[in-house]
Amino acid sequence: MIRVRDLTKRYGSFVAVERLSFEVGRGEIVGFLGPNGAGKTTTLRVLTGFQPATSGTAELAGMNVASDSLGVRRQLGYLPQEVPIYPDLRVIEYLRYRAALKGVPAKARAGAVARAMDKAGIVDVGHKLVGHVSHGYRQRVGLADALVANPPILILDEPTSGLDPNQRRRIKQVVRDLANEHTVLFSSHILGEVQEVTSRVLVIHRGVLRADGSPAELVARGASRRLRVAVRGEPGALASALAAGGIAADVVVGDGLASAVAELPAGADPVPALAAALAARALPVHELRVELPTLEEWFHAVTEGADRGEEAAAAAQEAGR
Amino acid sequence: MNGALVTFRKELLSYCVSPVSWIVGVLFYWWRGLELRALVDYFARYRVDQELLPPQTYSLGSTFLMVVLVPGLLTMRSFAEERRTGSLETLLTAPVRDGEVILGKWAAATAFYSLLWLPSVLVLHVLEYGPFLAADLAFGPVFAAYLGMFLLAGMLLAFGCFASSLTDNVLLAALLTIMFDYGLLTLPRQIAGLLGEAAQDWRVRELLDKFDVMRNFSEWFARGLIDTSQVAFYVGGIAFFLCLCGISLAARRIG
Repeated sequence: MIRVRDLTKRYGSFVAVERLSFEVGRGEIVGFLGPNGAGKTTTLRVLTGFQPATSGTAELAGMNVASDSLGVRRQLGYLPQEVPIYPDLRVIEYLRYRAALKGVPAKARAGAVARAMDKAGIVDVGHKLVGHVSHGYRQRVGLADALVANPPILILDEPTSGLDPNQRRRIKQVVRDLANEHTVLFSSHILGEVQEVTSRVLVIHRGVLRADGSPAELVARGASRRLRVAVRGEPGALASALAAGGIAADVVVGDGLASAVAELPAGADPVPALAAALAARALPVHELRVELPTLEEWFHAVTEGADRGEEAAAAAQEAGR
Repeated sequence: MNGALVTFRKELLSYCVSPVSWIVGVLFYWWRGLELRALVDYFARYRVDQELLPPQTYSLGSTFLMVVLVPGLLTMRSFAEERRTGSLETLLTAPVRDGEVILGKWAAATAFYSLLWLPSVLVLHVLEYGPFLAADLAFGPVFAAYLGMFLLAGMLLAFGCFASSLTDNVLLAALLTIMFDYGLLTLPRQIAGLLGEAAQDWRVRELLDKFDVMRNFSEWFARGLIDTSQVAFYVGGIAFFLCLCGISLAARRIG
């Protein structure tokens, strides 16, 4: 339903998005994740036709955003990051206006508005002026606006930003409920939120796509794992067992245990060899496990950590000249 | 054209519930009422010919207010407010053409402006049936004057929409329009004064006359004369400024 190929967006000399490519299938809910300023909103603005791409192509429902912008916008419900709604209209008036603007036929309009209000959970504020409802409700009015024409594709830009935990939970539930009927691209900079709502994550950082996959997959393949081992015995015996298993780590002593923590390179599985070495030395094992990084650690590794790695490599290259 | 119609309805509703619109309306009619009282008094005392009515009417301060101040006040929010609050993004990502949005907003401003003038028809009723005019009121010149005012307002409001699309500062948008309106009303005569002898050349005079809005009114529309070149001038002006507004929005998209 959404296909992006080599999408680049520049503002003068500043590159906001660079050669971004991804696809989102029909009925998928995909999280679009990245720190603030990563290029998420710029990408979404290009997809919604609000801004043109500098180069590359974006297709929604088989239509090119640049050449068939109106057709794309008919297939699209968009919730911008800051939900800007006219404060002098009542919620129901605003949604009727938006439904009419989106071409919902006059006879079907009342039903479409009622359904969208019900899905977004704003029936109780329908007759209030938009300027008088809370931020959380306003966000949900924006969501109802995105849903009112029942579009097949929904693009939600940080729909939970600035909401309290209860409001966030409500929005996340609404988004989860949309899964069967709509294709949803959901941007956020909050990892846990994306993990709860989506089955697939795209990570963008500094305008470049850094990762694409399910949260569990990405964590498993993307960042280094940690080996944690503790035995009752001499620290020297543990150090020799670690060396026999090909693991470099410092051994520390505490609470009557000799223990060590080692970073494992991707793909390495030293546990069987280490277990055999510990058994050969008759060391009673208190703990032996491989820890996966948390999603937060993984996210840090593919964004800030990657930056530091690139900077270090560049500095080393500079020093070598 | 569905987008233009929907935008027109929504904008007209917004004008009707906007405090600024009501303040403008009240001020206009309060001031107009005072002036009318003086005018009726003058006509009752001297029982003058209808010929004198247009110059008297157009020199009134409230007409000046409606031409110079009101277009800027009505259109200042049309795009500047949408840009300031960010609602332009939701508007321009809806399945509607930029041109439809512009047309709808301009038409709503022009319709509301015309509504502000509507009660002045009552004044004609008073003039016709009161003992003020030496002869019956001729409605031809009155219709032409209203048409002229409608065309002029349409052009000034189109400029107002364009000015509003240039900035997210509502006051700046109003100021730009007021300066333009004031310039349009006064500059042709000031330029003619500055040019001196050169202004007597028929080509220069014709050009300056074309832009001299007050002269167009007093010598053409108010006499019931509808010159197609003047109608084309105002209609062309409307189209020109609405196109500029479209270019401004497109430039905004490109960022």
